[in-house]
Amino acid sequence: MRLAIVWTIVRKELTETLRDRRTIMMMIALPVLLYPLLMMGFTKLQVSQREATASRASRVAVWGTAPPGLLAVLSDEGRIVVEAAAAPPEAIRAGLASGALHRPALLDTGTPARQDSDRAAAPGPGSAEPDSPAMLAARAMVAARRVDAVLVLWPDVMPAMAQGRAGRVSIYFDSVREDSLEAQRRLADRLAEYRRALVGQRERDRGLSEGFSLGLDVRSTNLAPDQRRSGQILGLFLPFLLITMSLLGGFYPAIDLTAGEKERGTMQTLLCAPLRSIEIIIGKFVAVWAISLIAAVANIVSLGTTMARILPGDQMHVAPSTLAMAFVMLLPLTFFMTAVFLALAVFAKDFKDGQNFLTPVYMVLALPAGVTMLRGVELNAWTAFVPVVNIALLIKALLVSEASPDLIFLTLVSSTAWAALALVLAARVFAREQVLLGGRDSLRSLLGFERQPGAEPTPAFALTAFAFGLVAVFYGSLLLQGTGTVTTLLLTEYGFFLLPALLLVAAFGFPLRKTLSLRRPPMGGLIAAVLIGCSAWAVAAGVLIRLLPPPESLVKALEQLLLIDGKPASLWVVWLVVGVTPAVCEEAFFRGLILAGLRRLGVWPAVIVCGLLFGLAHSSIYRLLPTFFMGVLLTWLVWRTGSIWTSILAHALNNGIAATLVYNKELAAMLGAGSDAFLGWKPTAVATLVLAAGIAVLLRTRPVVRE
Amino acid sequence: MAPTLVAEHLTKRFGPVAAVGDVSLTVGSGEVVGLLGPNGAGKTTTLRMLAGILTPDTGRVLIAGLDIHEAPLQAKGRLGFLSGDTQLYQRLSTREVLRYFGRLYSMSDPAIASRTEQLIDELDMGAFAARPCGTLSSGQKQRANIARAFLHEPDLLILDEPTVALDVISGQFIVESIRRQRAAGRAVLFSTHIMSEAEYLCDRILLLHGGRIIDRGSLDDLLARSGCRNLTDAFLRLVGPAAPTPQAVGR
Repeated sequence: MRLAIVWTIVRKELTETLRDRRTIMMMIALPVLLYPLLMMGFTKLQVSQREATASRASRVAVWGTAPPGLLAVLSDEGRIVVEAAAAPPEAIRAGLASGALHRPALLDTGTPARQDSDRAAAPGPGSAEPDSPAMLAARAMVAARRVDAVLVLWPDVMPAMAQGRAGRVSIYFDSVREDSLEAQRRLADRLAEYRRALVGQRERDRGLSEGFSLGLDVRSTNLAPDQRRSGQILGLFLPFLLITMSLLGGFYPAIDLTAGEKERGTMQTLLCAPLRSIEIIIGKFVAVWAISLIAAVANIVSLGTTMARILPGDQMHVAPSTLAMAFVMLLPLTFFMTAVFLALAVFAKDFKDGQNFLTPVYMVLALPAGVTMLRGVELNAWTAFVPVVNIALLIKALLVSEASPDLIFLTLVSSTAWAALALVLAARVFAREQVLLGGRDSLRSLLGFERQPGAEPTPAFALTAFAFGLVAVFYGSLLLQGTGTVTTLLLTEYGFFLLPALLLVAAFGFPLRKTLSLRRPPMGGLIAAVLIGCSAWAVAAGVLIRLLPPPESLVKALEQLLLIDGKPASLWVVWLVVGVTPAVCEEAFFRGLILAGLRRLGVWPAVIVCGLLFGLAHSSIYRLLPTFFMGVLLTWLVWRTGSIWTSILAHALNNGIAATLVYNKELAAMLGAGSDAFLGWKPTAVATLVLAAGIAVLLRTRPVVRE
Repeated sequence: MAPTLVAEHLTKRFGPVAAVGDVSLTVGSGEVVGLLGPNGAGKTTTLRMLAGILTPDTGRVLIAGLDIHEAPLQAKGRLGFLSGDTQLYQRLSTREVLRYFGRLYSMSDPAIASRTEQLIDELDMGAFAARPCGTLSSGQKQRANIARAFLHEPDLLILDEPTVALDVISGQFIVESIRRQRAAGRAVLFSTHIMSEAEYLCDRILLLHGGRIIDRGSLDDLLARSGCRNLTDAFLRLVGPAAPTPQAVGR
């Protein structure tokens, strides 16, 4: 790939796209207008409604005989007007006057009703008032808008108050009507005021101290800082808006640069120029991605400015650092979507066809971003692997300052993996002349899953297999979670590493021996494997872990691995489960299948990529560095010796020794790895020397010539 | 001297459809060769294989001695391709389009600039070279397209119906520029439906029908063999409704 050529294509595509008013509209103008209008409109509407409600007096009907002073307290502040004309139906009036009507008891529907001591609360969930004549009459009156609420003073109010008991009153209101709800609040407040005065009077009459009846003076204070409170509200819809709008920016350019070029016949011109198809796709990809990012920036800046300028001093405040983080999150997402858009749009024969193609794709991919509006769906180890959803939830988590580093890491890794997959797909589509010239091609061949006799895995195949494998391992191990640590481990290893590796080799007709490097190891290779296997863990434990110490929970989880039914297993079981099994299964997958696909990249790219994939598969930022280090060593072993048995040996020794130290605390203490997770400096130095010796032996081992 | 373009035994199938079967041809430098044939004869597929846009199922293509499959970048660098239905980038000007393609062909910026001025002059594009291509007439667009194909001074020009949908004046303009390329020693292979163009321009003619070359030679050879007085009659006799059906293309 020639970067100068790619850059030429990027510049041309950007120039041409930025001259398109439609793109500018979607990319800049829409977000710049959208947020201020949305916020202003929304808050204005809310404020004006609230003000209208607040400024109006509530019209209330009072049925029954009021105790002395109550009506005065109700209309004290002038916010409640008692509508004398709103009299109850005759039957109710007579019933209340004669004492024949009583407040109905609440129906118990399972959970106890919430009895609010300080406010006249509506029955809580779990209880309901049965339909009574008074209730039906009140409902009719409120529904007819004659009053906002009805206050019923039941016949026992007067005698009860005279005898020092609690009088019964009811407020009937309609919570759906803002006016009615407000009337209920005001009535409850005034009644509480009346009650306070009444209780105070009773305490004084009986010579009790003030607060005797109150018992406890309770106050609740919301601990969430303003930022989190506003973040919670914003978190509901902001991720969705940011994601859909950023993606919209790249929508038209993606179609224009692919289907549009086909329609205009310029794609053909490009294809007969001295260019590699990868240069064309990368050039177009970078241009569309850049436009998506400009759209993302426009959205974030517009949003930030709206927050800061239009709502000054309000609770709605988002820190610039949060917005910056949101932008970082949009990088892999827009990368992913751009690649998907390009890969699919190129199948369309013209611009209109492209729109028809991409609109459902856009909907399907962007709508999951609305998941933030659902309560209870949060970023966790499951959702971190779902594309789009993970980023939406992560932005939401950032807004309420709840994102843990491990989940951020998982989200970024999985998003990057999805993005890489999508780009591989796009590159493959662009390598198909028939697709570029208007024909169609089978999806199967695009995904690299075409079985050809004598075929070997390709880098694209390796990355695809890894991405699918990672997701499968992940969900698989979560499904197996209830089955006990050892069972989970064994099933994961055999079911998700060894089995897929063998199945894929069989399904695609790859040569087994060659793909999995099943050759007799040279003697030097075995010696190197033993030296590396005995020392690499120590270097990792002594040096690398200091750079990023793992949290206590991870150490505990590792220790947990060595228990069966809560009791320590015997040492040979530990070696079998934690040492040999992962060595065989993971090596077959990584140093077998994956490495076979990566071989054509050359030694160092293959070793580093394979090591990195191995590290990423351990799904924890704290384990990334040690496992990457280990992965590189193991890959290099197989590369030099041509035999997977060397890496299996080294891997088993490495895991087995590390497990033995966790198992046997006395031995660990002897090596200075007792109290903390780090290994002492002396054993670390010795281990480093052994590792160096292993590498030296490996360098002298003659590389096995590949068949 | 070896011919600039050599194609040997090209075949191409699209699924069950055999589009081109066993086509071999050569074009020498300073030679204009016409590829004639009815619609669906396989002209465009043949030209696309020659230009390296399509990969043939069998056979090979050499441009200036370079195999287009083995050394695609070098071979394509020696080729200028133009199709009659090709448009330009709507929102770029002719100058910008030329600069873009100059860079894609790895020309230096000064070389692009001087060559652009030369072509603007030669093809009389001064009046519209700075305007966005979307605003040009079809004749102006085709001139800009020709400039694009000629820009890097390729050894070989492959032109797929370059005068389609053009008026007589614009068409004549293109025809004359093809003659100039021949005079400059370039090899030109072009397809057309306009018999007078072929009669006027071609040193040799290939008649393609049903994916196979059914006759080839100079205009005089073709007329003599068919016993006709002009190319149109000869064409109709060979590929018209009354002509014998060509042998089906197969592997």
